Formats: sequence, structure tokens, C-alpha cells
Amino acid sequence: MKTKVAIVGLGKMGLMHASVMAMFNDVEIAAICEKNAFIRKFGKKAIPAIDIVENLEALLGRNLDALCITTPPASHYTIIKAALEKGLAKHIFTEKPLAVNFPQAKELCELAKKYGGVNMVGYHRRFSVTFLKAKELLDTGAIGKLISFKGHAYSADFLGAKTAKAAIGRGGVIEDSGCHVIDIALWTLGDMKVTGAEVKSIIGGGSEDEASLQVVTDGDLKGELNASWCKEGYRLPDMSLTVIGDNGYLSVNEDMVQLTTKDGKSNTWYKHDLNDTVPFSIGGNEYQRQDALFVKGVREGVKVEPDFRTAAKVHQLVDQANMFTRSLNE
Amino acid sequence: MNNKRILLVGDNPFHGISHLSQERAIARGKNLADPEYAAGLVKTALDNGADGFMFSVSEKTLFIAKLACAGRPPNSVKLYAIVPYVFEFVRMAVTEGGIPGLAKKVGNEIVFSANFGSIFEGIKGIIANDPVNLLRAYLLYEESRIRVAAGKSGVLVSLFTHEVLTDMALALNMEWLFREHIDLMIKRKIKPGFHTHNLPFLVSRFKEWQIDCRKLAFTTQYNSLGFGMCPSREEAEAVLKEIPETEVIAYGILASGYLKLPQAIEYIKSNPQLKVVVVGVSKEQQAKESFKIIKEKL
Repeated sequence: MKTKVAIVGLGKMGLMHASVMAMFNDVEIAAICEKNAFIRKFGKKAIPAIDIVENLEALLGRNLDALCITTPPASHYTIIKAALEKGLAKHIFTEKPLAVNFPQAKELCELAKKYGGVNMVGYHRRFSVTFLKAKELLDTGAIGKLISFKGHAYSADFLGAKTAKAAIGRGGVIEDSGCHVIDIALWTLGDMKVTGAEVKSIIGGGSEDEASLQVVTDGDLKGELNASWCKEGYRLPDMSLTVIGDNGYLSVNEDMVQLTTKDGKSNTWYKHDLNDTVPFSIGGNEYQRQDALFVKGVREGVKVEPDFRTAAKVHQLVDQANMFTRSLNE
Repeated sequence: MNNKRILLVGDNPFHGISHLSQERAIARGKNLADPEYAAGLVKTALDNGADGFMFSVSEKTLFIAKLACAGRPPNSVKLYAIVPYVFEFVRMAVTEGGIPGLAKKVGNEIVFSANFGSIFEGIKGIIANDPVNLLRAYLLYEESRIRVAAGKSGVLVSLFTHEVLTDMALALNMEWLFREHIDLMIKRKIKPGFHTHNLPFLVSRFKEWQIDCRKLAFTTQYNSLGFGMCPSREEAEAVLKEIPETEVIAYGILASGYLKLPQAIEYIKSNPQLKVVVVGVSKEQQAKESFKIIKEKL
């Protein structure tokens, strides 16, 4: 029997997840939920193979197995809460970030625990072959005892933006693209807390366009995480992490992993070297791997990562960073 | 003598893209961001064996095409264009307030283009909420922009739907989109093209839909590494035998710089059906030498 999934939100991420999941042999896209009347009417004609409905109520009684939520972050909390409490679906995938702050995220973790089911948050960078390789190298102690780290998430999304409206609409850069590098740091280096933070507005008008976080892990490893969506030269978003150990250093981004050990030996693995293939590719192979893992988890009833609990840790760090910047401004 | 293969200059380096290394793309400096410099590279490539230019349609690439075509003999530069320029559209969707904001912005551009065919289809599409009319409006608008930039020297050979649109439409069973694109392009005397990451699947779906592939063009990655070839190099090569009359345009033959030119040439030679080849260039010397070498060796 196929796993019945409904997509919530018919924006670019909704279309992407619908496309990826529609290509899985064991998945049926039962419906897409979209509240914007223009997009809904247009969508019904453009994608006649899939039922497009107005609201969550219209998904009731459809025996859905899972919801895939792709609406703006501010709506995630309400939708997930309603979905679990009304029994729309037992299993939830939501695009990142999980919520808008740590208290909301914590509440969603408790709800998810109460209702059971598989939950996942779309921190897709973890499924990039280069970051998977970096994680493997770090886990096997390739650079010895870790000393420090530095990471960034840069894009040119708002470079040259005339007004701050759209940037503010996406929250701040830490919540938006910065959360990816925070998630990767948590995943590869373990739990951490923020010890200092600075946020700059480039566009003006109250936007938060560049951020720098000083962090320390539970194992006393110190690091710095930077984010900007106004970075020249970054037409494609770029995320990078460099970790220094007592036996060398490792640097990873979307394109490659570079390992240099103390004895002067250096190894580079490009995506080309890391078997970056999937059965059907759309929007980036990591999305296919991510969604496949979620569906596997749903079908087999096993927990998958990154889940709500993991994503809540990202919120915890973001909230800590916001507290630092607020206290600096006061 | 090369009497079969068509060589095209690709536009990826001009957008600051290197799929081997983003750092490398940034390190290439600001020269490539300058459309006049980029047009100079295209001109050099055309002077040294390239037959045309393949590009995602944007203000920048249209300006490059315009400069590169200027002063050349009539219909001498073959243009292969891909629409929409998805990365720019995604960026606009982010900065303009999602898909409704993006639709409004593109709608405004169509209106101000004063392309009456496009405006007419667009109005029909909005009134009837009909994606078919809106697709036609958009394609006609892009076609008119390309033809203006091309002038008399450039000839628009083929117009491709971008991989994200093609592959999404494949996954979501949007058969109408393929048929409309094909019908409209044939009426406009342009070869209908589809840019895809999933050629074997596209071909099997077209067979199922009874779409004749012979009059079409497909563009996808082909290289000896199998990089970007989905679901596998073997299947991507095997499907070429099923569509012997279709124009298949190979890009990514250097696997974003991972492979050397001689390796890429050997690979293309071993796949005779790859009759059109796209190569990106980022330096004057490269623009001079690469196409000369490919022309000689293929």
C-alpha cells in the first residue's frame, strides 16, 4: 500500500517536495493544500493529477499518513499543532525552521511525543554528499582532538535590495539561512551554546542581514558561525564549515571536502568522487535523499533525523543569539 | 573536418557558477560579472570555432548575446535559449513576496514589453485562470526578447524549458505543458527543447504520452564520470539509442572542470549521437584554444 502524503503550501518548496515525493513508487500525493485562491485555481488546472484544496479541514477523513509542510515558518506551529490534534496525519515533515522560537519548538516536540509518529525538519544540507563525508571523517577522528571551528552560510539573496520589507518578512538572517550552518555544526560537533553574538543591518529599516555568533560546545570546543544574505559573489547560496584538530584540519562546503593532516598530506573529495546520484533528480539531490529517508521512516515506523527535537536545539541557539544582540542594543 | 557537431559557448561561468567549486567561481573575479567582458569571450569563441551561444535568458545574457552577435553576418550565430532563468526567478520569489509577487513582476514585464501576442495570451490566461495561456504569454515574451537581442546575426534555433520546470512537470504529470511548448514552438518555427536532469525518464514518459521526439531537442549532462547523469551514466547513454533522430545537446562534458578537455573529447567521440556540445569558458585564452581543439579533434 502506498504512503498517502498531503503537501501544505504550493510555493516553490511545495512544488519541489511534491515533485520529489511523486516520483517515489511507494508514495501517493493525496492532495495539496493552498489558501491563496489565485494559486489554488491556477494549480488545479496546471496539475490536474493532484487534488488541490483550500484548507486543512479539507484534508480531514482522507486517511493521510503524512503531511509535508512548506508554508512560511510563522505558520508551522499552528499547522503542526492542528494537524496532530485533529488527527490529520500521524507523521509530519516540515520545512525548516520548525517554528519561530524555542518555546514554540519545545511545545511542538512535546506534542509530537504525545501523538507519536515520525517527524522531520528540512535541514537538507545534511544530505549533501560532501557534508555526509565530512561527518564521517570527523566521527572517525580524522583530524584528532578538535580545537576550534568556523562556519558560514552566505548568499546574495538581498544584495542590493532597495527596501527591507522582504528581508524582514523572512525574519532575520540567523533564523533563515543561518539556521542551516547552526544545524550542521550541531550535527557534526555536538550540543553547544552561544557565548556572544552580533547582528548588522545592511539594507536598513530594521532588517537583520549579517550575523556572527560565538559558540562553545559541551566539550568546550570554541567556534564562530557567520551568516549573511547580502554577500557579493554568492549567486548560489554557500555553506561552509572548517574544523581544526590537533592532527590537521577539515574544510567542507557544498562542492568539496578537504582534509589536511599534520604530516602535510591533503585529500580532496569533490561531489564527483562521492557517488552523488539519485534515481530522479530535481532541485538538488539532497532533497531526494532527505524525502526518501522521511518516507522510509514513515513506512518502517522508525525515527529519522533531523527531527523536531534536533530542530528545537537550533531554535535554542537562535534565541540565545537574539538575547545577546538585544542586550547589546539596550 | 567537423561537419556534424555544433559547438556552443555556455553561460554558466558568466553567472559566477562553478559546480566544482563556489570558491573558484568567486575567485574568477569580477571580470566575468561584466557583460562586456563575457561578450568578448563569446566573440573570441565564435571566431575560433564555436557556432553559437547557449544561455539561460536574463537581462545580462541577452545583453551578452546582443554584443556577441553584433556585426556578424546574418543568421551566423546559433542561439539556444533556456527559460525561465530559474535561479533569478527563485531569488525574485524570495525578494518579491513569494509566487504571487513573482507572477505580478513577470506580468508587469510582459505588459511593458509591448509584445501584443504575449499580452493578449496573458490577459486571456488571467481572465480564465488558464495556465495554457499564461505559458504561451510567457514563452512569446521570452522569444521576443531573444529575437530583439539577436538582431539579424543571431538565429534562435531552439527554446528549452529549464530543468526545474521540465523535471517538475514530468514528476507531476503535467503533460499539457510539454504539448503546449511543443505546439507553440513549432508554430513559431523554433525547435522545441527540454532541459532535463532525467533524460531516460523523460523519454519513457514521452513514449507513454505518444509525443514524437524526432522534432525535439533535449539538453542534459554527459561526461565520462557520469556526473549529473540521472539515474546513471549507463541509462543516460542507452537512451540515446532510443532517440536516434533527436537533437541531444551535451553540457557538463568537463564535469565542471573535474575532467580535462582531451578526456571530454574522447567521451564525446565515443557517443556519436551527441551532435551538439556546450562548453563554458572563463578566460580569453581558453575561449581561443578550447573551441579550436574541439573542432579539430571531433
